[in-house]
Amino acid sequence: MSPQLTLQTPLQLPPDEIPSYLDQLWEKDQPGNSGANTFCLLVWQPAWIEQELVRVGKIKAPILGTQRNELIEAARQIVLKGDLPHSTPPFDKRVVESLSELSGKEQKDDLRGQHVDSAISALQPRRLITLAPTLDKNHALEALVAAYCPLPEEGGGNSACGDVVVLRGSINSLEKGLDILDGLLPEELPAWLWWNGNLDEAPNLLSQLALPKQRLVIDTALGEPMKCLDLLKGKVTSGQAVNDLNWLRLRTWRETLAMVFDPPSRRNALNNIVKLDIDIEGKNPVQGLLLAAWIAERLNWKLQESNLLNNESIEAKFRRPDGIIANFRLVHLPIGKPSIHPGQIVGIRLICKPYQNPRQGMCVILASESGECMRLEAGGMANMELVEEVVPIQNNSVEMDVARLLSTSRGSTSPLLERAAPIATKMLSLSQSSNSAKFN
Amino acid sequence: MSSPITNPLRVGLRQERVIPPQCLVIFGASGDLTHRKLVPSLFELYKQRRLPSEFALLGCARRPWSDHDFRQKMAASLSDKIKESPIEWDEFCKGLFYEPVNITHREDLIKLGQRLEEIDRLRATHSNRTFYLSISPEFYGIACRSLAEANLLKDPKRSRVVIEKPFGRDYRSAQALNKLVQNYCQESQVFRIDHYLGKETVQNILVLRFANTIFEPIWNRNYISSIQITAAETVGVEERAGYYESSGALRDMVQNHLTQMLSITAMEPPGHFDPEAIRNEKAKVLQAARIADEIEPWKCCIRGQYGRGGNKEEPLLGYREESGVSPSSTTETYVAIKLFIDNWRWQGVPFYIRTGKRLPKRVSEVVLTFREAPVHLFDAAGGSPTSNQLILRIQPDEGAVFRFDVKSPGSGMRSRPVEMDFSYEQSFGEPSDEGYVRLLADAMLGDPTLFTRSDEVEAAWRLYTPLLELIEDKPWQLPIHQYESRTWGPAAADVLLARDELLWRRP
Repeated sequence: MSPQLTLQTPLQLPPDEIPSYLDQLWEKDQPGNSGANTFCLLVWQPAWIEQELVRVGKIKAPILGTQRNELIEAARQIVLKGDLPHSTPPFDKRVVESLSELSGKEQKDDLRGQHVDSAISALQPRRLITLAPTLDKNHALEALVAAYCPLPEEGGGNSACGDVVVLRGSINSLEKGLDILDGLLPEELPAWLWWNGNLDEAPNLLSQLALPKQRLVIDTALGEPMKCLDLLKGKVTSGQAVNDLNWLRLRTWRETLAMVFDPPSRRNALNNIVKLDIDIEGKNPVQGLLLAAWIAERLNWKLQESNLLNNESIEAKFRRPDGIIANFRLVHLPIGKPSIHPGQIVGIRLICKPYQNPRQGMCVILASESGECMRLEAGGMANMELVEEVVPIQNNSVEMDVARLLSTSRGSTSPLLERAAPIATKMLSLSQSSNSAKFN
Repeated sequence: MSSPITNPLRVGLRQERVIPPQCLVIFGASGDLTHRKLVPSLFELYKQRRLPSEFALLGCARRPWSDHDFRQKMAASLSDKIKESPIEWDEFCKGLFYEPVNITHREDLIKLGQRLEEIDRLRATHSNRTFYLSISPEFYGIACRSLAEANLLKDPKRSRVVIEKPFGRDYRSAQALNKLVQNYCQESQVFRIDHYLGKETVQNILVLRFANTIFEPIWNRNYISSIQITAAETVGVEERAGYYESSGALRDMVQNHLTQMLSITAMEPPGHFDPEAIRNEKAKVLQAARIADEIEPWKCCIRGQYGRGGNKEEPLLGYREESGVSPSSTTETYVAIKLFIDNWRWQGVPFYIRTGKRLPKRVSEVVLTFREAPVHLFDAAGGSPTSNQLILRIQPDEGAVFRFDVKSPGSGMRSRPVEMDFSYEQSFGEPSDEGYVRLLADAMLGDPTLFTRSDEVEAAWRLYTPLLELIEDKPWQLPIHQYESRTWGPAAADVLLARDELLWRRP
């Protein structure tokens, strides 16, 4: 699907005139019409890598702010040619740092907020507000506004219309100009905030934008893991509606694992898990911890301890309801061509051994590719009753994932995430503390 | 079969579509269906977090209840479910409202409009409304007219009407009702509910056929010799004598539920999984269907009525002895029909459908019998070779069975049939949602895939018109055969198949 453009060239206005301009925009042509009665989406759209790639001349196209192959390839080239480990994800902070050291003053049009991915435009948002921070730290605040009608690609249909607002400037100028947002988010419509950047890159802005009434879309794979999990836990426990794209990307793993235990004949094995191993790409442990936390919560395991071993893997112990310890290990694997999402899971191994009859063991291996299955089979696993599945990983664009959330979220946090987030946070914080705390 | 322990990893994993902000308005809210099926299904949807926070249910009926009365009555009938989730009920209950409405009174409809606006403000339901007509069929047309006149159906994207069966009594009345309803709202706003389509296993026929490459190539006249569709009930007429006397099994079960199973089993693959594409194919196959012998239709239909049965400990009354039933009633409680579908896929393949009350087992199933092997190389252990059969079990014990021949153990080369069995219970261990849960959610989502379109309803009635006319005009040509309660129907039904050298499957 191709991105869709606004109906007209956006009009640049003084920021404080935007609310009144928008109020008049629909009234003029169609009295009583205030556009689509759907939702408002506020997007933090830094696109640092894209801006840097344009500046150094590696991309010769306008800045769009949407994920696309050209951008991913250019970022991968920077990883390969720069002094970065090959396992560095293409949108990693280190790629931005590496680019910022290169010289260049190329400029292209900045169309962030004006190109709307069709997965999102198909949902007919009432208002799309894009906050587009610039590399130039002295860039004064600019405001652009345009009417917008998502036109179905197959033609026909009658689309409800909305408008787009772009606020562009340095982080400082954006922070100062946030007041106008109050008038831009109609009370009667649900408002979403999609923080499409690292969670730790502009904490002041994030705390000002992520008001309790906003439905939050974040990606805990982006940013320093402890800060990401702390933020997630804080927002979830405060009762705010939080949607984590990193959690969303776990759905095929959770679904496949649940599928393994759907036949009632296998249910008992769930009570006898003694070991859980999760392999992840690179160093970001958040997704792996969230999956382990989900399993632990579902099986009513209590966290006993969590340690960081050799500054690499995380090992934790959980007490099962029957008092037996289940061991968990999260292992980082260096991957040559990593996914764009840091810390993606590549394999899970569950070993179940009934206490009374350990010989009747069962080993469940789920992996993103058959090579990983074979790796996880090592150590005699194939001697047990073995259940193996290759999990189909969906490589959706982030816009597709957000569109999915916008169309399916209930305006509340998934209860499963709500319960898993505190456990994952605790695992990571315990493992990071210098003396591995132990508690009962 | 009861479900064993729930799979803890399965809980909460369903990736469901989300219902937009919505006010569901139930006409006939004081009736049985509301507290027996509709409100429990909505509460289930709420517990599964599939209802939006901006949701309201407005019950409407003639009784002068208040919101409080309505909430209390619903709470009383759902007391068992509430015991398990009292906190959820308290929250859900806040979205329940009641408005006394006589659908024929214009001023009541004006008041209803005002109440809906008030609820929109209170619950942010965005003027999205689903009107559920759980009322007597004679009021369907009036209800649509009243709603339209009160301007409550003017936005086809935000308002829709759900209509319960029966949709008409015959082809003409269904056609007239369709015209009447369509005078006041667009076809896209009308959701004709058939709870059989809400069943997981009926929907599974679509998945089985169109998600697996092994079935579709053999799903035709080249490989299939006959198809049987059965919906058997163990119960008698119970409390429904008043309605049943004027409808009978043909109208009550065959025209809707069995015909829906027939169309899903026999339809062509749709181009894509789109409501209209699917309904087009269903309508097309019904339009191609006909009674096996249109000139002498009495030769391909058997009507029956249950007589006494049971045993000394549990004697069962015959239909004519039931309360509310005429002692000389000629209403059929059993019907078996032979049909053909005149298209390239099914030409010459007989479809046998049957339904009945007071049969030995409660079972619904579709049985596809495949053609025999062209040459019999082996002796059959049972005397004669058996055909392969695919049995799709709709209820209970939902699943599918494939019967095929294997070598019988021993030194000879004798064949015998065995069964390969898929059971929802064994594979998933989770009970499926009640059909209404699925259908209510779909109606509020505006997804008509599992609802019958006007042309489907008309085609279904037209299919049985020769039989309905015969019952009306020359009932002696379709006599009522008595059968003993808890037996598999009248012997004449066996003769219907015996003429084709076939037997009904004993489920």
